[in-house]
Amino acid sequence: MNDVNPILLEVFKNRFVSIAEEMGATLNMTAYSPNIKERRDFSCAIFDSEGNMIAQAAHIPVHLGSMPLSVKSAIESCNFNPGDMVILNDPYKGGTHLPDVTIVAPVFAGGDVPVFFVANRAHHADIGGMSSGSMPLSRSLYQEGIIIPPLKIIEAGELDKKLMAFLLNNVRTPEEREGDFSAQVMANITGIRRIEELIKKYGVETAVRYASALMEYSEKIMRHTIKELPDGLYSFEDYMDDDGVEKEDIKIHVDLEINGERATVDFSKSDPQVDGSVNAVYAITLSAVLYVFRCLVEGDVPTNEGLIRPIKLITKKGTIVDAEFPAPVAGGNVETSQRIVDVILGALHQAVPEKIPAASQGTMNNLTIGGIDYRTGMSFAYYETIGGGMGAHSDGNGESAVHSHMTNTLNTPIEALEFTYPLMVTHYGIRRNSGGKGKYKGGDGIIREIQLLSDAEVTVLSERRRRGPYGLDGGESGKRGRNLIISDGSVAEVGGKFHAFLRAGDRVRIETPGGGGFGKITEEE
Amino acid sequence: MILIGVDTGGTFTDFIYKDESGWGVYKLLSTPHNPAEAVLEGIKHIAGNKKCHVVHGSTVATNAILERKGAKTALITNKNYEDVIEIGRQNRHKLYDLKYKKRPPLIPGGLRFGISGRINSKGKLLNDLDFSEIEHILEDLVEKKVESIALCLLFSFLRPEIEQKIGERLRKRNFFVSLSSEILSEFREYERMSTTVINAYVSPKMTNYIGNILENMDSSILRIMQSNGGSISAETAMKESVRTILSGPAGGVVGAFELGKLAGYDKLITFDMGGTSTDVALIDGRLPITLDSSIDGFPVRVPMLDIHTVGAGGGSIAYIDKGGSLRVGPISAGADPGPICYGKGDKITVTDANLFLGRLIPEHFLGGNMVLYKDRLDAYFEKMAEMVGLTEVELAEGILNVANASMERAIRVISVEKGHDPREFTLFSFGGAGGMHAAFLASLLKIPKVLVPKNPGILSAIGMLLADIIKDYSHTVMRSALECDANLIYDMFKDLEERAYRDLQSEGVHPNLIVLEKYLDMRYKGQSYELIVDFSGADFVEKFHELHEKTYGYANRGKAVEIVNLRLRARGTIDKPEIAASREESREISHKALIKTTRTIFDGIEMSVPDYDRNYLRYGNTLDGPAIIVEYSATTVVPPDWSLYVDAFENLVLSSRG
Repeated sequence: MNDVNPILLEVFKNRFVSIAEEMGATLNMTAYSPNIKERRDFSCAIFDSEGNMIAQAAHIPVHLGSMPLSVKSAIESCNFNPGDMVILNDPYKGGTHLPDVTIVAPVFAGGDVPVFFVANRAHHADIGGMSSGSMPLSRSLYQEGIIIPPLKIIEAGELDKKLMAFLLNNVRTPEEREGDFSAQVMANITGIRRIEELIKKYGVETAVRYASALMEYSEKIMRHTIKELPDGLYSFEDYMDDDGVEKEDIKIHVDLEINGERATVDFSKSDPQVDGSVNAVYAITLSAVLYVFRCLVEGDVPTNEGLIRPIKLITKKGTIVDAEFPAPVAGGNVETSQRIVDVILGALHQAVPEKIPAASQGTMNNLTIGGIDYRTGMSFAYYETIGGGMGAHSDGNGESAVHSHMTNTLNTPIEALEFTYPLMVTHYGIRRNSGGKGKYKGGDGIIREIQLLSDAEVTVLSERRRRGPYGLDGGESGKRGRNLIISDGSVAEVGGKFHAFLRAGDRVRIETPGGGGFGKITEEE
Repeated sequence: MILIGVDTGGTFTDFIYKDESGWGVYKLLSTPHNPAEAVLEGIKHIAGNKKCHVVHGSTVATNAILERKGAKTALITNKNYEDVIEIGRQNRHKLYDLKYKKRPPLIPGGLRFGISGRINSKGKLLNDLDFSEIEHILEDLVEKKVESIALCLLFSFLRPEIEQKIGERLRKRNFFVSLSSEILSEFREYERMSTTVINAYVSPKMTNYIGNILENMDSSILRIMQSNGGSISAETAMKESVRTILSGPAGGVVGAFELGKLAGYDKLITFDMGGTSTDVALIDGRLPITLDSSIDGFPVRVPMLDIHTVGAGGGSIAYIDKGGSLRVGPISAGADPGPICYGKGDKITVTDANLFLGRLIPEHFLGGNMVLYKDRLDAYFEKMAEMVGLTEVELAEGILNVANASMERAIRVISVEKGHDPREFTLFSFGGAGGMHAAFLASLLKIPKVLVPKNPGILSAIGMLLADIIKDYSHTVMRSALECDANLIYDMFKDLEERAYRDLQSEGVHPNLIVLEKYLDMRYKGQSYELIVDFSGADFVEKFHELHEKTYGYANRGKAVEIVNLRLRARGTIDKPEIAASREESREISHKALIKTTRTIFDGIEMSVPDYDRNYLRYGNTLDGPAIIVEYSATTVVPPDWSLYVDAFENLVLSSRG
């Protein structure tokens, strides 16, 4: 990095990150569905000519490591020309789960080959498949929705109407999808324009050089961060409740080795992939690893390829953390990713106990409701995730009623939800005393109870329903979550993965887990 | 009658006034323990026993929140939703913080109460109010010595009479009461609740504060600046204090808007660079309004001027981070220890870099009343430059470049990201440090002109005197546009209009001077983000499509459109104090204006640069850069490829020759 000027480096850092953020602003503003606009379940990033990530707008951590794999896969399978954009969601080609649709676009600087790429990924409220909302309790990828390999949705500036018609014909809420796809395209156009301006100002060579300098910059900071961890081999394991089919107690095991400026994260001893939809593809595991190490960095650093360079990730094909086609994966992205984080943190706690919190809720509590709206006769699909408790740590109690780790989506306001859908929120509050006890208490979970006003299909995909999030240093576990169906006055607890057709008037009550406690309670406390 | 504008700032309380003999300026050190002291002292100094009309921008409401010194406040909402205010939007503001802690809510769990009276999305009351519940709560509130109550029921905007009925009961017991349907009659419960809670929390403080000032002002008139760019009577400000958060910065933007308009510029980007942060705003022919503000992490959804703040200012500290990048801010040297050149500090700041390059003239800093230690700089620059392998000059210019880059980014957020092209705007620079950066920043954004007003250091106080009386009203209706023709919408606006007329007349505005602006918040059905459309008749749907196209690049004319909110802005135009243009134009620059020449560095080249005293520059004077213009509270740098013109209002107008 000898020829890198610290001033230009800072200026480019500012520029690249702000381009990604501008893309996010465009996507957020132009999108149709509440899932993207109100909940902000999307990410935007820019990449070099090989698909290495240069900068990402901080939105959703689970997209961190997986976006570059999507872009790389698009580069491999499509020959990009100016004005092209490629759409994909195939989890086995760089995707994560089917509702997350990525659109990739090249930036040419007058030459024959792209010099940069921009991409964004958004979670769509429905992408077809066996149940409304496309977060099913499936047994094969084919049941989860339409699988889109890398395909040109826009060629030389022209929308491929046939492809679009084909996609829209395979989803439950085509109008909404169309609006969201075009918002994704708009976001890329913003990114392309801004990078072109940058190139015009500084020249291609400088822009490319500082893009790679920025990756080296993040790498340097990550090396520095890892170096501060004590060398050693740290192991930890924890379990997923079940796969929603049959298999219970699915083990995720990590061996984490810190050696100077490098870390090796080895998941080889984890359980084989399962029949149900909680399999994680490699991209997700990579995202989880990146997320945890990014959290160890003090201060802000651009999230890019450089962060992962000092870290070696080892997985075994065909396991729960590196599933093979056509294993179902809907829940791997949202649920298994959280458990992967839990085990890496558990291992790191042995290295730096003062920095690592007890387990947070460890689930996203995915709730999908779909059916025909009695008010309009139109079909609807509603998807939300629910926050919970965060783990306590050496400095204090865990935070209550927030999303933790791999997601950070917003809730849908009660009034927005009730205006839009035939649903009524009958209870929304903090689940008091659900955080694990300890010197410091885990954060409390949430209670969310929704009444159906139309008959509807309800799917719940959740975790930590059998054992609560672990405590550390003598702190107790947080309370496990509970899913309840209230029908005609009778209350029934159902499992963590649940699917049913319910009647108007029935209520679904989700009680999310509390975070784990930290430290022993001493006598006087 | 003497007109006085008063802006309470962190260090100084600024006064601008106009009496029979013309305009005057006065500054006092602020009295943070009781800001009213400095305010009253200044008014007394200026007006003596004469009657005056004061417009005041206060920081009382803001500070009450930042310092958690508001009134003891309770929240009453529907049963089963008492925690909505604590859950917020369930997200965390920092993504990669394993020990994330959110700001605790202004109202702790023990002071939040649930009652029946749940309304559904059609406005139907699902369970009747039970006043015995409320009586029980009241007992509890008295016992807990609560002063103020926020009342926010779900969907209250559909049935405001229900909150009113409860409010009546609570007010009878002498509580200060804020109703969500009055403060913000719009859907999205958390944001409405938060806005109402903040109002309840700060209003009693504001009431005491204003009461204290009024007591000592005899029969004079006091109006308070709001964050929406208008002023209101002291009485209204006591009840709706949430509308006064950010009133100081709002004064600055109004000042820029009015002075810019006077000088012939109606497309402005305002640039207010202070010690620790910089405020920017975009004016496209009208004051920029946002409905998306927050304070200390809590949403405030009443209309406010859209001001974007970035953590870079004159006191921002430069350092090399672990990755080898040169960073500037957000940590600031503040006033103590301050920049190195203030005599005590030991970390290089933006101000030090300006001084090092000769762009700040020590003997004229604050009129020469404050000593700058230029000789302290060398050792620090030498050390840091060596560390990063740059020359000292490269380092100093680099620090300014990095600071400019983050301010450029802030301006891009309010312009490019919202579909505006900065090249069509003029950069309106005020605050003490802005003039040293404005031309450079303008170059980065290809903004052709920079305007620096007279008295740039007290623009906020000037703006307060020029602000109209403004009240904002809104109401969620959530209707399909197909169901609504223009006549029906005019009918729907009637209630708000009646309220507006009543309120403005009680503010003392003559009915002939009341102007009502009607807007509709609209969106495509299924979207969850609204655009604010001017409403003036049958073409409102087409206007929405056009605005959507302009803002987001596309319109979808086949799609169903929803009217989400009615929005009414009632403006009572005031007699603005005249700012006279000078008639005498002089080409010749007075010899008194040229103070001396200094050695100043631009782009690595040291030049001999003339320094001018702004007080002697007159209408019609022009000069080519490089030049430095000094005045009591500000310094303006005219870079080598820029020219300066003094206009009829004695604004400095810089234009790029490049």
